[in-house]
Amino acid sequence: MEQIVGALIVLPWIFAIAVFLSPNHRLRQILTFLSLPVLTYLAFKVWNSNLPFFVETPHWVETAVTVFDYLLLGYFLYQGIKFRSFLVSVLAVAQLFLLTWVLLILPHSATPPIYVDRLTSFMYLIVATVGTIICIYATKYMEQENLDRENRFVAILLWFLGVMNFAVSVNNIEWFFALFETTTLASYILIRFRWDEISVKNAIRALWMNQVGGIAILIGILFAVKYYNVYNFTDILKINATAISMIPLGFLSISALVKGAQMPFHKWLLGAMVAPTPVSAILHSATMVKIAPYLILRISPVIKGTLLAKLLITTTGFVFVAAGLLALTQDNFKRILAYSTISLLGLMMLTASMGSSVAILASLLLIFFHAVVKALLFLEAGIMEKEFHVKYIEEMRRLIEKAPITVFFIALGFMSMTIVPYGIFIAKWITLEEASNFISHGAYIASIIFITIGGVILTLLYFKVIGVISRKRGEFVSFKLEKLPFIYMFTTGLYVISTIVGSLFIAHFSTDFVNLVVKDITGEFANIKAESLTLITPVSQIYDWQILGAIILLMIVPVSAYFVYFKADRVYEYTCGENISLNIGTYNFSCISKIEPFIETIAVALFVLTLVLGGGLV
Amino acid sequence: MSKELSVVLTLLSPFIGGLVYGFERIVRARMQNRQGPPILQPFYDFFKLMDKRSIMIHSFHAFMGIMYLIGTWFSLYVLLSGGDILIAIFFHVLSLAFLVIGGFSVRSPYSVVGAMRELIHMLAYEPVFVLAAVGLYLVTGTFQVSELLKTDTVPILTLPLVFIAFLLSLPAVLKKSPFDIAEAHQEIIGGPEIEYSGKFYEAVYTAKWIEYVYAFFFVFLFAGGNYFLGAVLVVLSFFIVNLIDNATARVNFRQMVSFHWYILIPLVVVNLMLLALWRA
Amino acid sequence: MNLKKYRKKSPWILHYNTGSCNGCDVEILACLAPKYDLERFGVLNRGNPKQSDILLVTGPVTKRARERLIRLYMEMPEPKVVVAVGACACTGGVFRGMYNVENGVDKFIPVDVYVPGCAARPENIIDGVVRALEILEEKKKDLQLTRKCVGDIEYVLGKQLNRRKIVAEGIRRCYEDRRD
Ligand code: SF4
Repeated sequence: MEQIVGALIVLPWIFAIAVFLSPNHRLRQILTFLSLPVLTYLAFKVWNSNLPFFVETPHWVETAVTVFDYLLLGYFLYQGIKFRSFLVSVLAVAQLFLLTWVLLILPHSATPPIYVDRLTSFMYLIVATVGTIICIYATKYMEQENLDRENRFVAILLWFLGVMNFAVSVNNIEWFFALFETTTLASYILIRFRWDEISVKNAIRALWMNQVGGIAILIGILFAVKYYNVYNFTDILKINATAISMIPLGFLSISALVKGAQMPFHKWLLGAMVAPTPVSAILHSATMVKIAPYLILRISPVIKGTLLAKLLITTTGFVFVAAGLLALTQDNFKRILAYSTISLLGLMMLTASMGSSVAILASLLLIFFHAVVKALLFLEAGIMEKEFHVKYIEEMRRLIEKAPITVFFIALGFMSMTIVPYGIFIAKWITLEEASNFISHGAYIASIIFITIGGVILTLLYFKVIGVISRKRGEFVSFKLEKLPFIYMFTTGLYVISTIVGSLFIAHFSTDFVNLVVKDITGEFANIKAESLTLITPVSQIYDWQILGAIILLMIVPVSAYFVYFKADRVYEYTCGENISLNIGTYNFSCISKIEPFIETIAVALFVLTLVLGGGLV
Repeated sequence: MSKELSVVLTLLSPFIGGLVYGFERIVRARMQNRQGPPILQPFYDFFKLMDKRSIMIHSFHAFMGIMYLIGTWFSLYVLLSGGDILIAIFFHVLSLAFLVIGGFSVRSPYSVVGAMRELIHMLAYEPVFVLAAVGLYLVTGTFQVSELLKTDTVPILTLPLVFIAFLLSLPAVLKKSPFDIAEAHQEIIGGPEIEYSGKFYEAVYTAKWIEYVYAFFFVFLFAGGNYFLGAVLVVLSFFIVNLIDNATARVNFRQMVSFHWYILIPLVVVNLMLLALWRA
Repeated sequence: MNLKKYRKKSPWILHYNTGSCNGCDVEILACLAPKYDLERFGVLNRGNPKQSDILLVTGPVTKRARERLIRLYMEMPEPKVVVAVGACACTGGVFRGMYNVENGVDKFIPVDVYVPGCAARPENIIDGVVRALEILEEKKKDLQLTRKCVGDIEYVLGKQLNRRKIVAEGIRRCYEDRRD
C-alpha cells in the first residue's frame, strides 16, 4: 500500500514533468488523458485496501521537507521583495521565524508522518476524478488561448494535484504546513499565469492571505507542542476531548477559514478569476479550498460540541448567507460562481464542525457534489468565454438559441446546486434535520436559520442566472446543436452524468460509500439506510419516487425548451399596447452592495470571536 | 393518512381548492359589503378559459405554465402522502421554479419583474416554513406528516408564537395583500402569469387553487392528531388571512422581507428556544 | 360538453381609455365597486388583454391611442366582444370633428354594443355588458380582425395568419390615410 500512496503523490509530479518536457501538443494531451485512469485506478486501490494505515518514511524525507520549507518561504520573501509587497515580505519573515522556532522545540514523535484513512482516500478519489478531468480540459483551453505556454500550464495543474494528494495524506502538522504553503505557491503561480498587472496584483493578494493561514498553522503547532506535546493529527484526536486546551485547534480552524476563503478573507478567491478558467475550476472544485473542510473534518471529533465548534458554526453560517447576498449583486458569471463557492464552503465547514455522524455525512456529500458541479460550471464558463465570447450574465441573453447544449448544462449545474433532489440539496436537508436535534443551543438554531436563508438566497441567485439564459424572443427557427470541441463535450459530459447519476443513487452512494468515511472520522456509522433509491435518515426519509419524480420534472424543463411545440397564435408580449423596443435587464440588488462594508465588519467580528473565545485565548 | 386517501385527496385538490377560492371570493365580497359571485365561479372561469382560442408568446413559456400545474400537484402529493415536511416544502420551491423560469423566459417587463418578485416571496416565507417544521418536529418528534397526524400532542398549545408567525406568513404564500407583490394586479398585472392566456392560463389558475390546499393543509398540521381542532384552525386562519387581505395595502418587497426576517423569524425562534430550554 | 354557456358566466373585462375625459371611466369603476357590484356576474377587471373577454372602450380614440387600441384588441383571444362606453366612444361625442380624434371606436375595431350617455350611467353600462354577454355566447372562435384589415388581409399576408403580422399590418394601415 505504501507504494500506491507514494505513487499517488509522485505520479502527478512525473506526469507534470513529462507534460512539461513533451514537445508535441497531441502527446501532451495523451499524457494528461492517461492521468485520469491511472490516478483513478490507484485511488480506488487505496480505497479498497485495508484502511486506515500509517506509512513510515525514511529519515531523509523529514530533512527534505524542512529544506523545502525554507526554500519555499525564501521564495515567498523573494517575491515579496520583487513585487514590493510589504505584507508578503513581512509575513514571510514571520513565517521563517515561527518555523525555526517550531523546528527547535519539536519533540520526537514515534507516530509515522503519513496517515491514510477513508477521508484521505475519499479526497484522493475527488482529486483523481474531478481534478484530472479539469487538466484534460485545460489542454484544449490553452490550445485556444496560448499554445506556447500550454505545457507549463497543464504541468502546474497536474503538479498541483500531486501536492493536494500529499497534503491530505500527511499526519504531521508541520508537514501539513509545508504542503499548505505549497498549495499556496501553486495557486500563486496559477493566478499570476497571465502576467498582466491585475493578475500579479491578485496573485500577491492570494499569497499574503494564504500566508496568514500558514502563520495560524505554525502558531497552532507551537501551542500544540506546548499543551499536548504532540503535533500529529492522530495524536491530537486521541487526547481526551473534554479537558484539553482549545488554543491550537482554534488556530488550525482559523487557517481552515482562511484557506476556505471565508469572509473577510474571501478576496483572494475572487481574484483568482483573472487567471485562465481552468485555474478557477481547479481551485474551486478539487483542490485548494477543499483543504478547508478537510482540515475541519480532521479535527471535528475533538472540537465537536465545544464553544469553538459553535462559533465556527455561526461564523461559517453567516458567511453562507453573506456570500450569497453579495453574489446577488454581481453580474460577472465567474464572480457569481466564486461567491457561491465561498458560500457553499461555509456550509461545508458548518456541517463539518457540527461533528455528529449525520452532519459529517452531509459535509462529505457537499464536498463531493460541490466539486463536481463547480468544476462543471467553471468549465462551462471557460467554454462560453472561448467559444461564444460571453463573460457577463447580461451577455448570455440569447445564448439558448445559439448554444443549446451549453445552456442545458449550465441550467442543470445551477439547478443541482439548490433544488430537490440533487446531492447538495440532500446534504442541506439532512443537516437541517440533524440541527433540529440540538435546538436548545443558539448556535444550532442559528445554523437552521442560516441554512434556510442561505439556501433560498442561492436559489434566488441561480434562478436569476437561469432566467437570463432561458429568455428568448420566440420559437426556435431551426434547432441545431452547437459544435463544441470533443474535449469540451467529453469533460463537461462526464460531470453532468456523474451529477445526475450520483443524485439518483444518492441513497446507496451515501450508505455504501460516504458512510465508510464517516465511520473513520467519527468512529460510528451515520444512522442512515438505503432501500432501493429511498434514503432513510434517523428521523425521516426521502422516497425513491420523490427523487425520480423531481429529476424527471427537472429534466423535462430544458428538453422541452427545444422540443415542445403548440399550435396556437403568437402574439406580442403585453406592454400596455405600446410599441417600444425592450431591453430587459436583471435586478442588480444595489440595495445589498450598500451594506457590503457592514457585512464585512460582522465577518471580521465573528472571525475574531472564533479565535478569541473559541480558541480559548481569554 | 392512508395511501388511498392521499391519492384521492390529491386528485380532488383542484376541486377543493376551487371551492375554497370561490368561497373566498364571496367572503371577500361580503367583507366589502358586496354580494359577490356564486361559489362555483372559479369553475365557470375554468370552463370559459378552456373555450378560448389559445394565444401565446412561445411554446416553452406556455409549457412552463403546464409544468407549474404538474409541479404543484406533485408537491401537494408529496405533502399529503405522509412524507417528510421539509421535502414537501422544498418540492414547493421546485414547483415555483417552473413558474419563475416561465416568467423569465419571455421578454415581457411585467413578467420578468413578477418572476423576480416571486423569488423574493420565497426568500421571505421559506425560512418561516422551515422553522415551523422544525418546531413541529420539536414537539412531536417526527418530520413525517403521517406520524404527525397520529400524535396525541397538540402542537399549537406549545407553539403558539410559531403558529402566529406561520399565519402571518400565509399571505406571502398565497400572494394576498399586504404581501401580494409578486402578483400586484394594479401594478404589474399578475406578474409571472401575465403572458398566459386561455388554456395555458387555466393551468396556472388551477395551480393556484392547489396551492390553497397546500398552504391550509400546513395549518391543519398544527393540530396534530386532533382533526376537529385542525378544521377549526383552518377555518379560522382562512378568515384571518382574508381579513388581513381586505384590510391592508400592499407593501414593497423590502418591507415584506424585513417583516418576515426581523419579526416573524425572531418570533418563531423565541418560541423554539424557550421550548427547547424548558425541555432540556 | 357545451362550454359556450360558461362564457356568459365568467366575463373578464379589459378597460381601455382612448383619451376620454375620465367621466365614463369613473362610471365603469363605479360598476365594479360595491354599490353595483359587477362581480356578482363573475366579472373581473383583469387589466390584461390576454385573459379578457370583454373590451370596454371609452373615449373618442385620439391619434396617439389608435395604435394601442389595435394592439390591445389583437392581443385579446377570441371569442371577444367590444363595448363602446359613452358618447365619445360611440361617435366621438363632444370631441367629434376635432383635429386630433378619430370619431369613435368603430372606425378601427368592430364594436358589438354601444352604450350611450355622456357620461354613461352605471346601469346602462351593466346593461351593455349583459347584452354583450349574449353576443359573446354566439361568437365564433375564428380570428377577428380589426376594421381596416377585414377582407383583404389573407390576400396581403398569405394564408398563414400570424397575429403579430396582422397587428403590424393593421397599425400600418391606420396610418395610411393620415391627415396630419
Ligand atoms: S362620453 Fe362624456 S363622460 Fe364619457 S368620456 Fe366622453 S366626454 Fe367624458
